[in-house]
Order: sequence, then structure tokens, then C-alpha cells
Amino acid sequence: MSEIDRRNFIKGAGALGLAGMSASIGLTVPGLARAASSATVPDVIRKTVASTGEKIPAVGLGSWITFNVGNDMVLRDQCASVVSAFFNAGGRMIDSSPMYGSAQEVIGYCLDKLGAHDRVFSTDKVWTSGDGAGQIAETAERWHTRNFDLLQVHNLVGINENLPLLFRMKDEGRLRYVGITTSHGRRTDDMIALMKNERLDFVQVTYNPVDRKVEEYLLPLAYDRGIAVIVNRPFRGGSLTQQLEGEPLPEFAADLKAESWAQLILKYLIAHPSVTCPIPATTNPAHAAENMRAATGVLPDDKMREQIAAVIGVLV
Amino acid sequence: MSEWWDYGLADFLLFSPRVYYRLFETMNSVWWIAVLAAFVAGLVAAGLAMRHGHRGNRVILVLLALIWGWAGYGFLWQYYQPINWAVAYILPGFVIEAVLLAVFAARPLPLRFGWRGDLTSCVGAGLLVMAFVIYPFVGLIEGRDLIQAELFGSAADPTALGTLGFVLMARGTWRWLLLPVPLIWCVFASATLWVMDQQVAYVMFVAVWLTIFSGWLDLKNGVTTRRLTEAELATPASLSD
Repeated sequence: MSEIDRRNFIKGAGALGLAGMSASIGLTVPGLARAASSATVPDVIRKTVASTGEKIPAVGLGSWITFNVGNDMVLRDQCASVVSAFFNAGGRMIDSSPMYGSAQEVIGYCLDKLGAHDRVFSTDKVWTSGDGAGQIAETAERWHTRNFDLLQVHNLVGINENLPLLFRMKDEGRLRYVGITTSHGRRTDDMIALMKNERLDFVQVTYNPVDRKVEEYLLPLAYDRGIAVIVNRPFRGGSLTQQLEGEPLPEFAADLKAESWAQLILKYLIAHPSVTCPIPATTNPAHAAENMRAATGVLPDDKMREQIAAVIGVLV
Repeated sequence: MSEWWDYGLADFLLFSPRVYYRLFETMNSVWWIAVLAAFVAGLVAAGLAMRHGHRGNRVILVLLALIWGWAGYGFLWQYYQPINWAVAYILPGFVIEAVLLAVFAARPLPLRFGWRGDLTSCVGAGLLVMAFVIYPFVGLIEGRDLIQAELFGSAADPTALGTLGFVLMARGTWRWLLLPVPLIWCVFASATLWVMDQQVAYVMFVAVWLTIFSGWLDLKNGVTTRRLTEAELATPASLSD
């Protein structure tokens, strides 16, 4: 979709999301999805990275806390089971950071064990005010990879040095996409300024049915500028789904074929036209597969999204 | 550097309680002989320290030096540092503490352990009981397995707690040198446990304040600043006040 088309969509729709217009907002219906590398991988909803037109599965996998298991081989193998379930359910994007302890090494271990380096959409970050290039080299070593699909400046740390570094790597063909991240709604003004002035491919922000501030300006801006959006903390670090545990799903969840609150939340996020890929984290392979199933079937329209937010807002 | 000011304490919690307590389970399983040896060595040191005017000062200091070296290498370096990069910045403190204890053991510095019967001794003894008897088994109440027990001598938290107790049981001008590292560790551990929503965080926090309060009392009463007399050095039994 061209830049003009996107702007027309925003003006014409006057609202943030209409699932019925999925074709206009970069959704690819499952039946038309590009075949994954494995023939047994199910089709899932894919969303378009506007800067290239590449389509990626609409749910990813985060690694904050969950993959920081150190040298514990039992827990490392559990992580590998999570990654395996994620890939087998159609997932591709895995996100990490130098800030997350041993998570990068554990991801490298999982990918080695599963022989899955060619299946991952590798997403990591640079998080230093010092030697960004050195940190990226270390990160690549931990992942056992040479090049990343996407590198982001974590929480805008060292942005003046690290962003030019990432653009340079992209220009030299050593990196496919460049992004910036924030969480908990921090440094929004700086984020917006960078989105307006830099040729970013991705931004990563906190967004869920309870934390909706990004809906006001940041998400429409991302849409307008053709910047893909990764959503962190979709379950508020797990506390949101924990609070909802035991509560019956609303009746309309059946219309969406949502089996759990987690799936309902992810469908809420995926249905937003600006959102490219939420990245829930988990230690449970069944949950990884369940999260991926949110990227199948029907997505909520605007009205239903508001209902989801309202119901969850009352319960938490 | 303003971007660093945006972070809160919770941002630096990088691991789950499950992973944290698995560290002790793994260490206790793999290094069980060393873990038990360090615990017994600590018990011996505590027994010597509690005895009135006993001449085992040097033995206590050597055992504590070995224990800090082991806790630093065995637990911090091998197990904790991989999941918590902040530990790498505190690890040199364990080396410094071990070296300081060794220096105190090697030199004829005026540091003597012994029960004095004052409030500081009571606090010191209380911290030793907490470190050896209560803290390792708090997890049982919370439903954790015995194999995950954090034992004095290997796990950093009870080792730091107990060391505060040892130092409060001692007297002599230079003993305050041994306090900063365990105090810093207790603050660090308390913050970590608090962010993980573990009630035991309060134990570490209270230990810090009790130690500071007791140290202040000793300073006020001259226990810390007064040099040991020749007679006291020659006759440990005369240490009772």
C-alpha cells in the first residue's frame, strides 16, 4: 500500500481499526499467506512491514525474564520447547536485548538445538551509551548468527550514536531493518520526534487493552509514516492475564474463536491497523502455541475492540 | 545520560523467582560436598565466635575468608552472574572481603571475637541464628523444596547476613572495614527480593539497619574506637566488659 493510500485510510476511516478492511491495512488472510519454511506450519495472519512489503506472522515471541535461565540446562531445554512450539504454530519473530541477562545466549542455544536459524525473524537491540558496535558483535555471537533482521535502539539509550550506527549497518547490507523501542510509555515525545524525522522501519511500544495511550497519537503516526509497530508487554508482564485468570470470557469471544483471555488480548492488538506484531513472552510451550492461534480466524472490528477494552478495564 | 534516569527498580528484574531458586537447587545438587563443608566451617566459626574470650580469632577469620571466596566463585560467578549482569559489578566486593578477612587473619590487628553480653552482641548472635538456622529454611514455609535451601557459606544472602553477625560479635578498631561489602550485598539482595515480591526481602533490610544501629551504639560507647590494651590482647578472657 502506498503512502498516499495509508493517509487516505486514516482520513477516510477516521478510526483506528476496521478488521473488515484487513486487505487495506496490510493483513494477509491465512489462506494466502506465503508458505513457511516448514510444510507443516499452519497459516497465520501476517502483517506487512511497510518499508519493504515483507509480510511477517502477526504474533512474535518476547524473551524478557522468561529466557533468562543462565546455564540451567533443564530450563534451557524448556525454552527450546517453547521456541519449537512457537515455530510449529507459525511464529517467526523472536525479540531480545543485551539487557535481558542470558536470554540472548539461550535463544542461540534454542536455535542451534532446533536447527532453526533459517526460520527466525531475528530481532534484538543495542543498549549502551558506549561501544554500540562491540555490543552488537557480542549479541550476534550469543545468537550464533552473523546478521540480524531487525536491530533497535533499546529505550533510546545512546540514540545519537546508536541510530546512525544501525543506519550505517543497513546501508552496508549487514542489517535489514532499523528500529527504536520504549516501554511503559516513557520518552514518548522523543519517540515521536524520531518517528517524524528518521527513516525508521520499526518502533516498539507498550500497548494492551489497559495501557492505551499510544492509540492517541503514536500509532496513527506510525501508520501515517509507514513504520511497523512491535508491541511489548501485551499482558503487562503477565500480570494482566493473571488478574483475568478464572474470569469467564465474554460471550463475544466465541465469535472470534478466542479460547482464552490471552488470545482475546492478542486479537485486540493485532486488529489495530498500525500494529504489526505483539511479542508475548512465556515459559510454557502450550501458551506459545495458544498465543500464535490468536493470529488465526476472525479479528475484532472497532466496536468489538472497544468492548474488549471495556470488559478488561472493569475486571482489572 | 538522562535516558538512564527513566529506569525503575522493577526494570532491572531480569529473572523469575523460579529461575532464581533453581540456582540454589542446581548448586546444592552439583557441589553438595563443598556446600556442606562451607556450612560446617561456618558453624565452627560461629561456635568459636560465641565462646567467651576464646583464642580462635585467626581460625574464624581464615574460615570466613575461605567462605567469602567460595561464595563469590561458587555461587556468584558460576550461577548468579549469568542471569544477573549487575552481579559482575558486585563480585569484586566478595574478593575484597575475602582478602580483608585474610589480612585480618595474617596480621596482628586488634580484632577479637567474643560474647560481650551487650546489645550489639545480642544483635550479632541474632543475625548468626538467622543466617544459619532460619534463613536457609524460610523457603520450606513458602513451599519450596529443601534442595533449594540457601545455606550459609555458599549462598550469598545468608553468608552476608552471618558475616554482619560475626563482625558485630567482634571488637577492635578496624572491624568496620569488614562491614561495607556485606552491607552493600544485603541492600542489593533486599532490593532484588523485594522486586520479586519475596517477603524475605524485609529480613535483609532489617539486618542492614540493625547493623548500622549497633555499629553506632558501639561507636558511641567507645567499643569500636578504643584500642585493645596490651593486657586484653595478652589475656582474651579479660575482654568481657
